[in-house]
Amino acid sequence: MDTLNELLNGFAAALTWQNLIFAFLGCLLGTVIGVLPGIGPVAGVALLIPLTLNMDPTGSIIMLCAIFYGTAYGGTITSVLLNTPGEAASAITTIDGHAMTKMGKAGAALTIAAIGSFVGGTIATLGLVAAAKPLGELGLLVGPPEFFALMVVGISLLVALAGKSMVKALISGALGLLISMVGIDPVAGAPRFTFGMDRLLDGVSFVAVIVGVFGLSEILSYRKGESTVVHAPGFRSLLPTGKEWRRSAPSMARGTGIGFGLGLIPGMTGSVASLLSYGAEKKFSKYRNELGKGAVEGVAGPETANNAHANAALIPLFTLGIPASPTIAVLMGAFLQQGLTPGPTLFTEHSEIAWAIIASLFIGNLLLVLLNVPLVGLWTSILRVPAPILTALILLFMVIGAYTINFSVFDVFVMIGFGLLGLALRHLEIPLAPMVLTLVLGPLMERSLRESLEISQGDFSIFLNRPISAVLIALGLLIICSPLLKLRKPKALTDDPET
Amino acid sequence: MSRKKVTAAIAAAALLALTGCGANAGATSATGEDFPKKGKSIDLVVAFSSGGAVDTAARLVQPVLEKELGTNVEVINKPGAGGQIGYTQLTSAKPDGYTIGATGSPSVVVSPLDPARGAKYTRSSFQPLGRQVIDPAVIAVQPDSPFKTLKELLDAAKAKPKSMTASTTGLQTGEHFALAQIQETTGAEFAPVHFSEGASQATTAFLGKHVDILVANVSDVTDLTKQNKARVLGIMTAERSPSLPDVPTFKESGYNVEAGTARGYSAPAGLPDAVAKKLEAALQKAIEDPEVVKKMNDLGLQTSYLSGKDYETFWAGQEADFKKVLPKVQKKD
Amino acid sequence: MTQSPARARPARSVLAGIAAFGALGGYVLVSSVGLGLWTSLGPGPGLFPFAMGAVLALMSVLWLLQELKRPSAAGEKADGGLVLAVVVSLLLLAALLDLLGFQLSMFLFLMYHLKIRGKRSWLSALLTALAGSVGAFYAFNYGLNVALPVSSIPVLNLIGL
Repeated sequence: MDTLNELLNGFAAALTWQNLIFAFLGCLLGTVIGVLPGIGPVAGVALLIPLTLNMDPTGSIIMLCAIFYGTAYGGTITSVLLNTPGEAASAITTIDGHAMTKMGKAGAALTIAAIGSFVGGTIATLGLVAAAKPLGELGLLVGPPEFFALMVVGISLLVALAGKSMVKALISGALGLLISMVGIDPVAGAPRFTFGMDRLLDGVSFVAVIVGVFGLSEILSYRKGESTVVHAPGFRSLLPTGKEWRRSAPSMARGTGIGFGLGLIPGMTGSVASLLSYGAEKKFSKYRNELGKGAVEGVAGPETANNAHANAALIPLFTLGIPASPTIAVLMGAFLQQGLTPGPTLFTEHSEIAWAIIASLFIGNLLLVLLNVPLVGLWTSILRVPAPILTALILLFMVIGAYTINFSVFDVFVMIGFGLLGLALRHLEIPLAPMVLTLVLGPLMERSLRESLEISQGDFSIFLNRPISAVLIALGLLIICSPLLKLRKPKALTDDPET
Repeated sequence: MSRKKVTAAIAAAALLALTGCGANAGATSATGEDFPKKGKSIDLVVAFSSGGAVDTAARLVQPVLEKELGTNVEVINKPGAGGQIGYTQLTSAKPDGYTIGATGSPSVVVSPLDPARGAKYTRSSFQPLGRQVIDPAVIAVQPDSPFKTLKELLDAAKAKPKSMTASTTGLQTGEHFALAQIQETTGAEFAPVHFSEGASQATTAFLGKHVDILVANVSDVTDLTKQNKARVLGIMTAERSPSLPDVPTFKESGYNVEAGTARGYSAPAGLPDAVAKKLEAALQKAIEDPEVVKKMNDLGLQTSYLSGKDYETFWAGQEADFKKVLPKVQKKD
Repeated sequence: MTQSPARARPARSVLAGIAAFGALGGYVLVSSVGLGLWTSLGPGPGLFPFAMGAVLALMSVLWLLQELKRPSAAGEKADGGLVLAVVVSLLLLAALLDLLGFQLSMFLFLMYHLKIRGKRSWLSALLTALAGSVGAFYAFNYGLNVALPVSSIPVLNLIGL
């Protein structure tokens, strides 16, 4: 009952007109980011962080969360209508979604996708509500050594799952940690790696780094002949038939289960969830032989899984302070910039804000259904904007975004520099995801390491003497060493374009 | 032609969307007379994480400040390095009145004194605007601890130096100094664990029993004592605190230790006079607001206001005092 | 880059990358020792960077060994002209932002990308560039209270740029 009460208070806070507008704008912008093929959710969320810095914490986080799950919706639209996924997690939807479009059933496909996403998102958020209290209370068990060990596990999972080479993923992770260390040492106050530049004392702005590494480098790596000028097909009706509804219900249930489960595991991205869900449909669906030829299950399953994943991934963030994917890491950076530390203390120190955000997740998922279905025509028209105009406008927003972090041109230069670094990393096939994660977690990780060693007075065995941290550390080592033990990861992960 | 229409529509939509995010307001300039511009918000930088006493005090003052100044005041937490990160941000901001900060000694006084910290500011980088409270330091143990009195605890620490861990809110903060002073006068040595984000992290670690001793300020333990989550053994002031009447002072127990944290508000040096006056007056109103004083009392904080000028003098006095103790909390290679 | 037919040797760009990461790792190792790994007060500021420098250096060596054993195909090459145009124009924009003010410098930047590089019609380029420079300036300044830079040249400043 206590939880219910707090959730109701959260709704009261989330339903103020201001916060409703923030959620609405977030859904709108998120959908646009999802639709645009050039700009992924990571850079998209990072780009919009500076705009929210002047807002109050609740509103700004509500908006950024809405942007985050809005991208999961937006990507679907282009997958179904144009056969080009707006973001990686919707790639699998192109198969049956676009086939349905060719059969003139685009409206039904999009509605099913929207409803499936709503179902998945809402159920996952209910999971967050149920998990918040008990996990939050476990928080006190998590002292500095356990916290450090938790982060080791999170990072090693992402490193192990990212890209094809563990060596390259570790380089990426170490780079992120090193970048996060620029500035005043968070414990002793000594300046590190500032090269005598006063501007670097406050550290390198993570927004500038992420916008550069993810956004700018994406634009820099465009190749000629990749034109996106397309024509949206017409569709007959928005509403699916009764039979289509009945057929998609079991797929949505499976998708919710898969997305929810994977969302809890750090390192699993939305793409993995939608790929696995498609695999499940192929195996279990009654109509499996129709898959690939425009079966509604091929849309309902993956899209539900994708959104259930996006919302479930917020559970480890809210309760343990562990970001499960690069986009969530960026979101976590935004929390930190607003003075909110995600994790067990979030619910004790800022319970009103935390519950308002959770309530807004329900509202946002509903808003997206309302936005998504009737406005499909508008979204596709964005894709008819010629590429040079899109590129110019995206560059414009990147410059404004970088400038407004500290109102200084310095961050614009930082962004350009990291854009080039991102381009080099892409060329060398070094995955970018571990870098974002460690960039955000770096300071927390270092602090907990040093606090632990102060508690043990310099004895590193503290991590092994305490049962929780010992198990976690062992798990992390096992994950890192898995290539040596010839543990194969599923093919779906290797091909995951998001990491 | 539809292409152009779409372009224009997108541009318009983007602008519309963006204008929706904030309140309407006039242009920005910072000359002083027209301070504060309506709608331009003032950042109040808190150099510790949210939930600690510095943060709580700032958030209590904030609404009154908003009313007095007629514009938004936003509390921004910039924790890290025992306050140094937030102070660096505060002193490197434009002295236009739109950035002010909460300053607490000893952290703000000491961080520029130790060359190893490489702080980019000195006392003269701040323009003190007013002092709000003095918050005495206390020492507390777990409720199930075998130590019932201060003497038992200190004797045990003396017998086995560094056998118990004690929390601070960062290197060379008030709590660290308090520990050094205890060691100096009583010979009892604890192993300090520095939670450089602030008191809320230190308290959480104490509640989770990850550290043995909580060294904190009165305001941090008032609630914990009521909920029986901590047993406060001694308070480092001359007189008992009204919010912890049962806790004996160190003096009563026979140790001459006095330590605490003084907190106030400052701006980066170089404010135009008109701006400084307005801010100082608004802060005084806010600090002495009966409602704020009462809420501070509930938290265990006794308001003791000093004007900007007096706060500056107080600060200089503290600087001289801390210079003497500094070697005890400095790193030795 | 060199694409040797037998692919017996690793691509030059990959070797350069490895060298760069190795050098960075070495630099971090050396400078973190200077920061102090351990002090009388506990773990020092250099401890964590030292560990990361070690990871970076070690991984560079491992990567080099992998490459020597089995050279990887060099990643797809970026469009050099595009990279140059975008990066140089961004650098110029950033350098001129405080001097010319946001509106003028952004207008020139957008016109370059729309008209010269993008080959849009004059009308479309002008409209978009104006919306993105002057329009964005006013939207941010008056709508969001976010001050974008104005020109530091008095004449330009006076006419509102």
